[in-house]
Amino acid sequence: MKRLVYILIATFSFLACEDVIEIETPSEPPRLSVDALIRIQDSSAITNIQVKVRLTSSFFEPTPVANLEQITVTNLDASTDMAGNVMVLIEEEPGSGIYEKTVDNNLLTEGRLLLSINYEDDIYVARTEYVPTVPIASLAQGTETLFSGDETEIIVSFNDDAERDDFYIFDFDFNEYLVTEDEFYQGQTFEFSYFYDNELNAGDEVAINILGADEGFYNYMNQLIVQSGSDQGPFQTPSATVRGNIINASNIDNEEVFDNVGQPENFVLGYFAVVQQFSRTITIE
Amino acid sequence: MNNLKSLLLGLSFFSLITITAQQKYTLSGTITEENSNETLIGVTIAFPELRTGVTTNEYGFYSITLPEGEYQVLVSYLGFKEIVQNIALDKDTKIDFKLTEEAEQLEEVVVTENVEKMDIRKPQMSVNTLSVSTIKKIPVILGEADVIKSILLLPGVTNAGEGASGFNVRGGAVDQNLILLDEAIIFNSSHLFGFFSVFNPDAIKDIKLYKGGIPARYGGRVSSVLDIFQKEGNSKELKVNGGIGAVASRLLVEGPIKKDKAAFLIGGRASYAHLFLPLFDVDNTAYFFDLNTKLNYKLNANNNIFLSGYFGRDVFGINDSFVNTYGNTVANFRWNHLFSDKLFSNLSLIYSDYYYGLKLDFVGFNWNSGIRNFNVKYDLKHYMNDKLQINYGLNNIYYQFNPGKIEPSNLESGILEEQLTQKYANEFAAYIDVEHRVTENLSLGYGLRFSNFIRLGQDELNIYENDNPVLFDPFLLIYQEAEPIEVINPGRGGSLATFSNFEPRASLAYTFNSKSSVKASYTRLAQYLHLLSNTSSPTPLDVWTPSGPFVEPQLLDQYALGYFRNINDGEYSIESEVFYKDIQNRIDYIDGANLIANDAIEQVILNGEARAYGLEFLLRKNEGRFQGWLAYTLSKSEQRTPGRPAFEDNGRSNLESGINLGQWYNTPYDKTHDVSLFASYELNKKWSFNTNFVYQTGQPTNYPVGQFEFQGLTIPYFGLRNEERLPDYHRIDVSATLTPKKNSNRKVQGEWIFSIYNLYNRRNAASINFRRNQDTGVNEAIRTSIFGVVPAVTYNFKF
Repeated sequence: MKRLVYILIATFSFLACEDVIEIETPSEPPRLSVDALIRIQDSSAITNIQVKVRLTSSFFEPTPVANLEQITVTNLDASTDMAGNVMVLIEEEPGSGIYEKTVDNNLLTEGRLLLSINYEDDIYVARTEYVPTVPIASLAQGTETLFSGDETEIIVSFNDDAERDDFYIFDFDFNEYLVTEDEFYQGQTFEFSYFYDNELNAGDEVAINILGADEGFYNYMNQLIVQSGSDQGPFQTPSATVRGNIINASNIDNEEVFDNVGQPENFVLGYFAVVQQFSRTITIE
Repeated sequence: MNNLKSLLLGLSFFSLITITAQQKYTLSGTITEENSNETLIGVTIAFPELRTGVTTNEYGFYSITLPEGEYQVLVSYLGFKEIVQNIALDKDTKIDFKLTEEAEQLEEVVVTENVEKMDIRKPQMSVNTLSVSTIKKIPVILGEADVIKSILLLPGVTNAGEGASGFNVRGGAVDQNLILLDEAIIFNSSHLFGFFSVFNPDAIKDIKLYKGGIPARYGGRVSSVLDIFQKEGNSKELKVNGGIGAVASRLLVEGPIKKDKAAFLIGGRASYAHLFLPLFDVDNTAYFFDLNTKLNYKLNANNNIFLSGYFGRDVFGINDSFVNTYGNTVANFRWNHLFSDKLFSNLSLIYSDYYYGLKLDFVGFNWNSGIRNFNVKYDLKHYMNDKLQINYGLNNIYYQFNPGKIEPSNLESGILEEQLTQKYANEFAAYIDVEHRVTENLSLGYGLRFSNFIRLGQDELNIYENDNPVLFDPFLLIYQEAEPIEVINPGRGGSLATFSNFEPRASLAYTFNSKSSVKASYTRLAQYLHLLSNTSSPTPLDVWTPSGPFVEPQLLDQYALGYFRNINDGEYSIESEVFYKDIQNRIDYIDGANLIANDAIEQVILNGEARAYGLEFLLRKNEGRFQGWLAYTLSKSEQRTPGRPAFEDNGRSNLESGINLGQWYNTPYDKTHDVSLFASYELNKKWSFNTNFVYQTGQPTNYPVGQFEFQGLTIPYFGLRNEERLPDYHRIDVSATLTPKKNSNRKVQGEWIFSIYNLYNRRNAASINFRRNQDTGVNEAIRTSIFGVVPAVTYNFKF
């Protein structure tokens, strides 16, 4: 439904003109940002957990990597004698900011999962649980266009699970994402068209992924998509820091400080989610 | 507060029982334009010997009661020839004055007798009137004369920039303006997102904008009242006028059905789809149209009836797969009845609705939403004597809200039909409003409005744990939607919530001499409807929602103080005011709130507050070849939503940080400085020239304080809300009107208007967005600007 707004905006942006301008943006001390979206594919029995950790920078500066003291993912419900219920992630390539470990899928698909990070005397934690999804039923190339007349239409369909409320995230490649929920198509075969603005050529192969999400992650991605670059024109919503699900727990002692209300600046960016993913590719004609 | 109320009531009763000793008679009548019988609003009928007078009401009626005697009476109205007449008032007398336009007599010396301008004596302040002839002079984008764009040049009125819908008055939101077209409520005033307004200037007689000191007969919106009167139709002869413009063409026909008794008016306006948006190819459409109709029938000297209607739509379509339709419909029956020459009444039965429809075939659904209301008003104006006028009346509005209905747009679609829960409400109001001239120098206006709002039952209602639909995460400091613990069916019969408010209004004018006065006013207003809009300017698909179990009515207190002066016998006037206003229960949206198709809006809103204050200055030149005004506003508009009160749980108090950490932040319509200049110069009968200059402090916005990456996306992140501003906004527009000479002896009269909008091609930023360029991988700040320099030609004609 959020797409309605994008379409209005797209119509609108036709009347407008855009140019790149020089602007000085404010800055603040760097914070930790954590990209801990773990996609689990049924096609393999193991998954490489990969978490990218960087520091934020002002908008026009590059983002430096962060060197962690330790980063682990723990399955809180796996029996303690089960080997590897505490998964320690290693920076395989030093200085890359990418911490990884390959584990059996079943260590991630059942039970509560805890991400824990130690960085410069601070402790960051996040909890999540695996969210399943449904496969893409079909992909087809269409002939319709939208605004400019040279978009490429891809028709996507999938069968929604009638037994649960589903949230979906589509990864359309080229850093293009879309979120949708099944409120208005519970249990149905849902088909929609996605339009690529960038010029795809015949023979190009495009990979489209469907990812599961819980409501929190769906909302988070929805906000990221908006803030990462859609032109909102005059229909601008108030921008705010999109806070994820990772908590800076360093100052919470549960004796005097029970929450972060008194320390609103004490936060970290990013999200920890473990979701099922199905992929399909289509060759552009 | 109770004391104030009883004082007000006491004062009005005291006035009612004042017994008059001297024999008095009433002079009353209706004032019309000579050639068309069109009634005129706000005409001054002055009695210089008595230093008193009266003005005509919305229906051209006036009434004044004076001691027996012989008087000189001056009937004057800006732009019309003044009538000076001696009358012997020795019985109740009815005189229907007829005025003629003075447009053709510019060279003549204007009568400059010492007519006291009534407006500085009246306690009414914070009001601006624009005649349609002024509106038509103001240079506008693409030459399309526009009511809303014109009022933006007044002090205290701004909008979110080009192509933004609605307007903001004294730092208020767009949904806080009551827009009345012939007394009917208009819910969306914009065509094409806001490039044009829905009012066809040819069909309009007069507009009045109340920014403060709002009389008790108005209610329901806390910022302003824009009262628009349509023409009634010419009951003397058939007249046609129209125009051919760059965007739209207009045609209006009016004429008698029965001479001097009954008249009709029908006007249409439509845009040319493909010319305005040439970028679309033939499959696509984008157009709007309006239809205005009016009938009036003078039954007899004491009874007039009016029927008026408006229908307007915007339509956008792309390949049939995306079609967007929206607009207003208004139908209205009114009956003016004179009980006596002192007691005027009007009964109105009004229906209005706003419809939004969308077909989105590539996702497979149709969507429609809207609001409709049935409105009954009964208003009486009691002209007691030359010192006292009492207005009172009743108003009842029944609302039906359709937040949205979704249905499959084709057979293959997986979309299931669903109606979001419709909402119903009833708003009742009763008011009394007194205009009281206490002494020659002191006038008072005081009144009281009682409003009662009942949120009626509906089919489904969510119930939440602890009645709390919004949860706060104390670790992440974010608000989240609560899951309802139960969904009940309260049924349509009962009520879900009831609100009642007493809304006192008071104003005062003290005149030092015939030239200057000070005025002060206090206004309390309640607003029960809210437009759910989280963008800096509303979109057509924003829906209205009523107050109810989770949404409190907005309550305004506004204080204003002003100094008014006529210079050189009204050739110039100065209006300066300061105001302070405070609004309780302004709703705010949690970060990331989705408002569209949201069946549980209570999960994403919190109650906050808003305040605004400022200074307005208006210098007007009212007469002569050179006319115009200079307006300056210095103001501040802010809102905040602090965390809700802490509650104890397991021996710990649960604190919240509030939206934007509970701190005050600039509203998107906070413009520190706002300068508007409008000047019009009539060189000769052939040529006249008009110009605007606008300068405004840039609109509040956000610049990112940093960036991070997630799954290949580069995401700018922001600090507190609206801490930065867009670059300052300014532009100049000019227009020239050519009235060919050969006109004078022709039946068809035409004029050409040549206009240039944004003369020096300033690229005013509508927004600045921060994103990564996908081709180069470099982060960029992108300025979006709407209009550069836009020349246009319009041809208007009448016969």
